Amino acid sequence: MAFNYDKYLRLEKMPTLWCWGCGDGVILKAFVRAIEKMGVNQDDICVVSGIGCSGRFSSYVDFNTVHTTHGRTVAYATGIKLSRPDKMVICVAGDGDALAIGGNHTIHGCRRNIDMTMIIINNFIYGLTNSQTSPTTPKGMWTVTQKAGNIDPTFNTCDLAIAAGASFVARESMLDPKKLEKAMIKAMQHKGFSMMEVLSNCHINLGRKNKMVSAMENLEWIDSITISKKKYDTMTPEEQLNLLPTGILKQDTEADEYCDMYAEIQKAQQGLRKPISQDDFAKKI
Amino acid sequence: MGTFKTENPGNQPVWVNTDNCKACDICVSVCPSGVLGMVYESTSTLGAMISIQHPEACIGCNECELACPDFAIYVADKAEYKAAGFSFAKLTDESKERQVAVIANNYMALDIKGAE
Amino acid sequence: MATREVISTGNELAAIAAVDAGCKFFGGYPLTPSSEIMHVCSDLLPKKGGVAIQMEDEIAGICCVIGAAMAGDRALTATSGPGMSLKAENLGLAQMAEVPLVCINVMRGGPSTGLPTRVSQGDILQSKNPSHGDYKSITLCAGSLAECYTEVVRAFNIADRFMQPVIVLLDETIGHMHGKADIPTIEDVEAGIVPRKRFDGAPEDYFPYECGPTEPAVLNPMFEGYRYHFTGLHHDKNGFPTEEIETCRKLIQRLEDKVEVHKNEVESYEEFMMDDAEIMIVAYGSVSLAAKESIRHLRKEGIKAGLFRPITIWPSPAEKIKEYTDKIEKVLVVELNIGQFHSEVQRAAARLDIEGLFKVNGRPISPYEIVNKVKEL
Repeated sequence: MAFNYDKYLRLEKMPTLWCWGCGDGVILKAFVRAIEKMGVNQDDICVVSGIGCSGRFSSYVDFNTVHTTHGRTVAYATGIKLSRPDKMVICVAGDGDALAIGGNHTIHGCRRNIDMTMIIINNFIYGLTNSQTSPTTPKGMWTVTQKAGNIDPTFNTCDLAIAAGASFVARESMLDPKKLEKAMIKAMQHKGFSMMEVLSNCHINLGRKNKMVSAMENLEWIDSITISKKKYDTMTPEEQLNLLPTGILKQDTEADEYCDMYAEIQKAQQGLRKPISQDDFAKKI
Repeated sequence: MGTFKTENPGNQPVWVNTDNCKACDICVSVCPSGVLGMVYESTSTLGAMISIQHPEACIGCNECELACPDFAIYVADKAEYKAAGFSFAKLTDESKERQVAVIANNYMALDIKGAE
Repeated sequence: MATREVISTGNELAAIAAVDAGCKFFGGYPLTPSSEIMHVCSDLLPKKGGVAIQMEDEIAGICCVIGAAMAGDRALTATSGPGMSLKAENLGLAQMAEVPLVCINVMRGGPSTGLPTRVSQGDILQSKNPSHGDYKSITLCAGSLAECYTEVVRAFNIADRFMQPVIVLLDETIGHMHGKADIPTIEDVEAGIVPRKRFDGAPEDYFPYECGPTEPAVLNPMFEGYRYHFTGLHHDKNGFPTEEIETCRKLIQRLEDKVEVHKNEVESYEEFMMDDAEIMIVAYGSVSLAAKESIRHLRKEGIKAGLFRPITIWPSPAEKIKEYTDKIEKVLVVELNIGQFHSEVQRAAARLDIEGLFKVNGRPISPYEIVNKVKEL
């Protein structure tokens, strides 16, 4: 007996629609293994996905699942979480989904610090729609909309999330599924908005036109641009250039969580406490 | 419709579900011990299929299972495997050399000539 | 039915109605002239253990409302023209995935930013099909302060019955009108609540989208042991994406038929002095108040005018309109747009000689304008 994936996946949907060697499958696997280790009941979990290859994620897992419109995962999840704060809500989105069309919802989810986990699968390209530039496509790469080479500057997902106020921010790549699984557990156990960026490959729509024709070559490139946070921190700014640190980049367990704070609003409105004032936040303005 | 075959087919250290395999080579690339190799398979989309070449060399590290995007390869549970009276192999120099040769052969099993 | 007398505004009454009807979630974004609905909800909902959240934009406003409705809450959003345009795509998802919710649109001058603080009825056709694709939307239109309350209550019950968004149209005049209204007691409202259907059998026997060809889906709240899938894609009986030809056709046909076949359940209109009318005025929303006033004047002068006021705008009371237009020669549609409902009256009547009195400068139509127009007919 190997790990019992049957329990967590919708078997009739297999094999997945993803291309051969697609990192989405590795992330899906790490995710269900993390859930198993956490021991959360399947009925108490909601997975919300958007549009793109990552959008299919929700239809493969046997939880309460929602496949929303493009970019709106966090907004849908906010309604679900506020409606049932005792349940676990996980958003899965791609780089185009979460950072381009849904960028506004992503940063405001971080700002509110509402208790949910957002897994951003960053494959540096629009894969499902065939090779358009995404907000994380490295400069100089070929895309179908920048055939002379991409000139658009990139977002650093984790820096963005930290600046926007997410209380847990981590980055891993699908190259190390064991570390990925551990980081996912920490992200989901964290109370507050957890941003989990997972670097993934798209050798089909990024790789083939950028000298990485196979999954393996694409993964080697990801390996070459990532480095553990521990090593990254010892480097000079020149050395850090073009490298992405992996590991837990931020963990703030003190930050006020939105559902908790909303419960205070309810108490105040029901006359069970005095209205919330600036003094309540004296230390944290 | 693919189903998982998470049940050990009979005291194997590692086994595959060829219904789910898309022949991406990832599992072959992560094996430290030269257990796996691709073989030509005309009915598969990419013309290749995973195969277990040296089960006796499997060290039970689980890397292939975790790295497989398609739930196509499984490794026995260590405790269960031991309870059944078996044990995983130790990593040997011979295994390591075989793994280097498999990768050099473009992830194909060593008795097959891999594409350049 | 027992009533209570309140002094309030249309927007406030709409918000109070939602809370009384069991709404537990409000999500929205400030948008003149609808914002007061959010103000009142953010005051009242937490008192009842509910949630009102101001989101980062209009799109997030509708999205979180759909999320809360999926989780099982009665949920409300409110906006105005530009916000409706932004919400359109996700209203489409709610139609497709059959998620019940109420969306109030307090109409202002458009298109675009238009006349933010001025009245209009320019969103009639938008509310018929806010997003792309085929489905049959349900739109109610309040014509008095009391109806700002009763129509919102009715909208929640209709949404749960038909499992889809219900749009309630107010216009700026009605929304900001302040005065006395007789509204039903809370006890009566609560007694009239018909919650959405649910499946109580074994989870393995549950197929949320397996229902009769004219019936809505039966969607149990999340987290109760019935795990299924919501999607905006064409989907099968389990909610999973499919491109199977017959499944796709049946799904879209059902979205149309579930309302079309049962439209008598939502039909609502008012007939004012229509018994002996020789001239029929068709008006709705705040314009109907001016129309009634004009009819009183006309009657004093011996002109037998009457008012037909659709309360359910979509699906329109086409059969009733036809019944009247078949026997009344002079028909005048008065509205604050360039003939959006006028074209529907023409269609229902199968007549091209329907007269219109339109105004699109952000100002209300006065009773005298209607009196003068009727005299010209």
